[in-house]
Amino acid sequence: MSDSTFNVAVFGATSSIASETMRAIAGEHTAHFRLFGRNADRLGAVASDLDARGASSEIREVDLLSSDVDWSAQLEGKNWDVIYIAHGSLPDQEVTLNDSKKLELEMAINFVSPVQIASACASVLERQKRGTLAIIGSVAGDRGRQSNFLYGAAKSGLETFADGLRHRLFHLPDVKVTFLKPGMTDTPMTAGMEKGALFSSAAKVGRDAWTAIKRGRSTAYLPGWWWMVMTIIRLVPAPVFYRTKL
Amino acid sequence: MSSQRNIYSWGRLSPSPCEVIAPAWQDECQLPGEKTILPFGLGRSYGDSCLLTEGTIIDTSHLNRIISFDEETGLLRADAGISLDAIMNFSVPRGWFLPTTPGTRQVTLGGAIANDVHGKNHHRAGCMGNHVPRFELLRSDGQRHLCEAGSPLHSATIGGLGLTGLMTWIDIQMVRIPSAFIDVEEIKFNGLDEFLQISSESGETWEHTVAWIDCLAPKCRGIFIRGNWAKYGDLVPHQAAGAAVPIDFPEIALNKLALKAFNTLYYHRLFQKQSRSRQHYSPFFHPLDAVQGWSRIYGKRGFFQYQCVTPTEAGTEPMEEILRIIREAGQGSFLAVLKTFGEIPSPGMLSFPRPGLTLALDFPNRGARSHELFDKLDAVVRDCDGRLYPAKDARMSREDFVSSNPRLEDFIPHIDPNFSSDFWKRMTAA
Ligand SMILES: Cc1cc2nc3c(=O)[nH]c(=O)nc-3n(C[C@H](O)[C@H](O)[C@H](O)COP(=O)(O)OP(=O)(O)OC[C@H]3O[C@@H](n4cnc5c(N)ncnc54)[C@H](O)[C@@H]3O)c2cc1C
Repeated sequence: MSDSTFNVAVFGATSSIASETMRAIAGEHTAHFRLFGRNADRLGAVASDLDARGASSEIREVDLLSSDVDWSAQLEGKNWDVIYIAHGSLPDQEVTLNDSKKLELEMAINFVSPVQIASACASVLERQKRGTLAIIGSVAGDRGRQSNFLYGAAKSGLETFADGLRHRLFHLPDVKVTFLKPGMTDTPMTAGMEKGALFSSAAKVGRDAWTAIKRGRSTAYLPGWWWMVMTIIRLVPAPVFYRTKL
Repeated sequence: MSSQRNIYSWGRLSPSPCEVIAPAWQDECQLPGEKTILPFGLGRSYGDSCLLTEGTIIDTSHLNRIISFDEETGLLRADAGISLDAIMNFSVPRGWFLPTTPGTRQVTLGGAIANDVHGKNHHRAGCMGNHVPRFELLRSDGQRHLCEAGSPLHSATIGGLGLTGLMTWIDIQMVRIPSAFIDVEEIKFNGLDEFLQISSESGETWEHTVAWIDCLAPKCRGIFIRGNWAKYGDLVPHQAAGAAVPIDFPEIALNKLALKAFNTLYYHRLFQKQSRSRQHYSPFFHPLDAVQGWSRIYGKRGFFQYQCVTPTEAGTEPMEEILRIIREAGQGSFLAVLKTFGEIPSPGMLSFPRPGLTLALDFPNRGARSHELFDKLDAVVRDCDGRLYPAKDARMSREDFVSSNPRLEDFIPHIDPNFSSDFWKRMTAA
């Protein structure tokens, strides 16, 4: 364990992958967490779990979708080692495509809100001249697939945005932007699916996210072997790809 | 979130279609009033006690947070769905361990209590349920009961097969450990008498004892393993599991010849009569956790585990007889586990362990042939007043279950009217 406190801010702190990453951090550092989310009781449960692991934490009950919040102000008071943007939702694509209100909401959760928060975080890290901005994307953003391209489009937009931020912050060698791309993960969001061999536990994905953050990676597939799967999926020629049900 | 899907128990005998609800937060623990339900942990029970075909399964594995831990007393309060794996990862670096552990860490705390699991230290620590001062139980009428040790609902729920309600959070009394390592002694033995002799010599001075035996050998030969926590050594937790078995193996992989060769090799792994070593707790307690999903080596038809206990009063004859029947049938598994249960009674009304000898081994599913063999074994167990372990069972008879559980009558009034399981339906079918 290191001596000085390791400060971490987490948006969407009730996400299971984020919780597992925080546990991994608390296992290695004396850590302080600022937890952002909508449900104070659940943030409290996450905080108790981290506190039992020797960390300290504070809760900020906020609506991450709100455009009235000054996100830089929310980050005042600490010098951040890691800022982690973890919120997202896996929509039912067919329902959402036929309901413009739902569509707007899903795009807000998976794209607009993370972008708003990420740009505020980037300016905070720019002022600090250090720290990592980690954002959870998805392998779904790598290629539009008929079953899941709405979610994929939002995540690939988010990845492009993260690329741009990384470019803009490139002059600051101690500032990193890490874009994390989990594959299929066993979380409450996927509880209804039959778990085939491609599923990984949230614990594995969350831990691997921490490893990627520590190493200052620009992008990381979680677990790493998804890189290979997605490379193949990206390289399959369109005429063949379109005949699959992926 | 709820949805329809197939789930399997560890023996993978057949898929069980059901509706699955997966609460991830205490506030999401709500039981649907009018449905038939059963809690589910990590599905490490072998048979049908964790299944409810066409019913509603409450998958608790996402309800997995620590609520509080007292570093002074070692009292841990956690969500019921936390795995023993996660608990050890947390507690070992702090110098604490679970009071007992089954042969795998991949079980939930709730599941471990609902089956009142035992470990290699049963003769010293009793069952998991001996170390649970209290928990909260949610019933289908929406009531939340705080169940303290000594109360009837507490005793009914420990070993209660998930039928009394949903445990939401649990207090468990952890124990201090000086290191993460075990000083191990392994001793070869030949015959049950020698086993018993080593076992009784070891009871006082060795905290953990178990034996692996080769059921195919003419005389019950095996290796007695005993261990104590090493006084010195680092407090390093286990590593995450390695390779997985992603698909069902073809059945020929497990023919009799292969089994025999494997068992013989295992026995002769030890050259001397006796050997000493220091092992990390993970290979010592959880040797099979190194290969994820190993149950798939038994192929598509799945497998049975047979675990019985024969009481001390009956002596060694029934166990000799059981081993003889298994040997003659030639269907036994890689290895069988033999242990002496101690005297510490569990509060659980349906708790499986009782003082005596317990044997556990796997049998690939050979349909009618397997059942004929089990029927013969049952007869021996019945005659000596022994019993079978529901956590491992997919086929015991209702009569045997009823006659071998003297506290069944006390238990039944505590069942939640909306809870049931495939096992329970089997035990109550006319
Ligand atoms: C390799 C291996 C080795 C094993 N070794 C041992 C051993 O040494 N000793 C031993 O005793 N057992 C052993 N077992 C059996 C295993 O420990 C038990 O079956 C255990 O109960 C499984 O826990 P689970 O979390 O997977 O629960 P499941 O199998 O999913 O469910 C078990 C029962 O618990 C109930 N349940 C689960 N959660 C709750 C809750 N929150 N509230 C109320 N009820 C609940 C379920 O309804 C069900 O009746 C072993 C199993 C394996 C696969």
